[in-house]
Amino acid sequence: MIKENNIKFIFLSLSLLLIIIIFFFPFFWIITSSFKIPEEIIATSTTIIPRSFTLEHYNKILFNSDFFIYLKNSLIVSFSSMVISIILSVSAAYGLHKLKFYGNKFVEYSLLVTYAFPGVILLVPIYLLFAKVNLLNSYFALIIVNVLFATPFAVWMLKAFFKLIPNEIEEAAYIDGASRYIVISRIIVPLAAPGIASVAIFCFIISWTEYLFASILISGDDLKTLPVGLAGIVGQYQIDWGFLLSGAVLASLPVILLFVFIGKYFVSGLTEGAVK
Amino acid sequence: MKKNNIEGWLFVSPLVIWISLIILVPIYIAFELSLFNVKIIGTSGKFVGIDNYIKLLGKSKFINASLNSLYWIIGNAICQTFFAFTIALTINYKFPGKKIMANWIILSFIIPTVVVVVIWKLMLSSSSGVINSVLIDIGFLDEATGFFSSPNKAFISLVLINSWRWSPFLALIILSGLNSINREMYDASKVDGANFVQQFLFITFPNLKSVLFVLGLVGTLLSFNIFDIIWLITKGGPSSATTTLPLLIYETAFTKFRISHAATLSIVTSFLLLLFSIIFIKSMAPKEDD
Repeated sequence: MIKENNIKFIFLSLSLLLIIIIFFFPFFWIITSSFKIPEEIIATSTTIIPRSFTLEHYNKILFNSDFFIYLKNSLIVSFSSMVISIILSVSAAYGLHKLKFYGNKFVEYSLLVTYAFPGVILLVPIYLLFAKVNLLNSYFALIIVNVLFATPFAVWMLKAFFKLIPNEIEEAAYIDGASRYIVISRIIVPLAAPGIASVAIFCFIISWTEYLFASILISGDDLKTLPVGLAGIVGQYQIDWGFLLSGAVLASLPVILLFVFIGKYFVSGLTEGAVK
Repeated sequence: MKKNNIEGWLFVSPLVIWISLIILVPIYIAFELSLFNVKIIGTSGKFVGIDNYIKLLGKSKFINASLNSLYWIIGNAICQTFFAFTIALTINYKFPGKKIMANWIILSFIIPTVVVVVIWKLMLSSSSGVINSVLIDIGFLDEATGFFSSPNKAFISLVLINSWRWSPFLALIILSGLNSINREMYDASKVDGANFVQQFLFITFPNLKSVLFVLGLVGTLLSFNIFDIIWLITKGGPSSATTTLPLLIYETAFTKFRISHAATLSIVTSFLLLLFSIIFIKSMAPKEDD
């Protein structure tokens, strides 16, 4: 018995160490590097503890670049996509969960496949379609596409949360004469609030990180999102690493802040509800 | 169970209409384009029937990209299964800091892909990357190597970077499956003298079937889809070694300006993926018990 526990302990410590090095160290590295002077960032001999400290890169990106324009665009697009996704997927998830109807299994599996539907296949025809209806270079073009990518998995997660709500609560409300609308808005939504929060963060992340469509559907500089703006720096022949790193840290900050507050719902939503 | 047709469809229809419009209309447009000979966006071409399909399927570029996509899916599946299970099984144990780790392990998934690209371009840089200098310090390498310079190295590096992004997310989904397994089964097996390898093979793994089904289907399609990580790091090179089908479609449409060819590629690709999904669902879908 003791022997097996020892082996387990060694395995656990080893894999913990591995996970920390592989999945957390890179963040430590780019965050500290974004405060290093340019000579240290590209130095051939590297030390783990930074030797220099400067705010010049942040100064440059905050006060001498289009950062705030991109940030504003990203926020508008992501927030709108999130709200629309939540409304559509709460309704669909409730329908799939509670109301057995002809074709519900088909809708369910189609959604799962759509979640993984290759965006790049749609890229050319959507570009042409949006050009025809004058949607190119608009926030709405990106919102339409983001909702498409976020909702299928959102429905899948929400359904799992709805399953956790005891049927009796809902039935008691009907006996008291409540309508379907009252039941959903007063019972289902409040009880599933942590689930809805975690789905909301998922939708926000999907929109916040989207690059492919944003790079094709938007050409005006004043409408570009953060990922597209950053990718512009990555593509340059001579990369200004300090500038790029501080941009990367700042572009990640909003999702990380959001995650600080409702991340635990997202993680417990995934780990306790997702695929049951 | 009582069917509730009208009300049920009323609830799902807003989303179903939204999704179908944004998928089916473009697919119809792509199909139409694939029968014509359109080059630059906005111009018109002449009707060529199925010529594009015949020309395309024999092209070495198409075959090369299809094979790359296949290797890409297999490589990612192996890597991500390994990483995701390691993370999930580790976090499933009790240790100090477990909560924080479980919450933040997903960091690599919530940041923009472009940031993932920035992180690994810096870490793997051949002139000043920290990985190179560590590998030289421990004597694993004699001199700095370019991780994206040869076809094989570039491909493997990209698979690892993409797995780095996705594994934590998959790990959490596997954890959801682990949490649903009845603890008593482990206790009972211990009484019967099972060790933890046997427990994994005969209790954990079989009980994860429905989770693994979803991961197998969605994960495969999601890996197939990956575009930005590859495009922003290697642009499909060196010598087309990392050009998967999504990159080929993009390149054909937006750098070579062969819109009809790109549309044809899109149609063929959707057909292949649809076929895969149907076969996968028909043969692997777990039986419903409710």
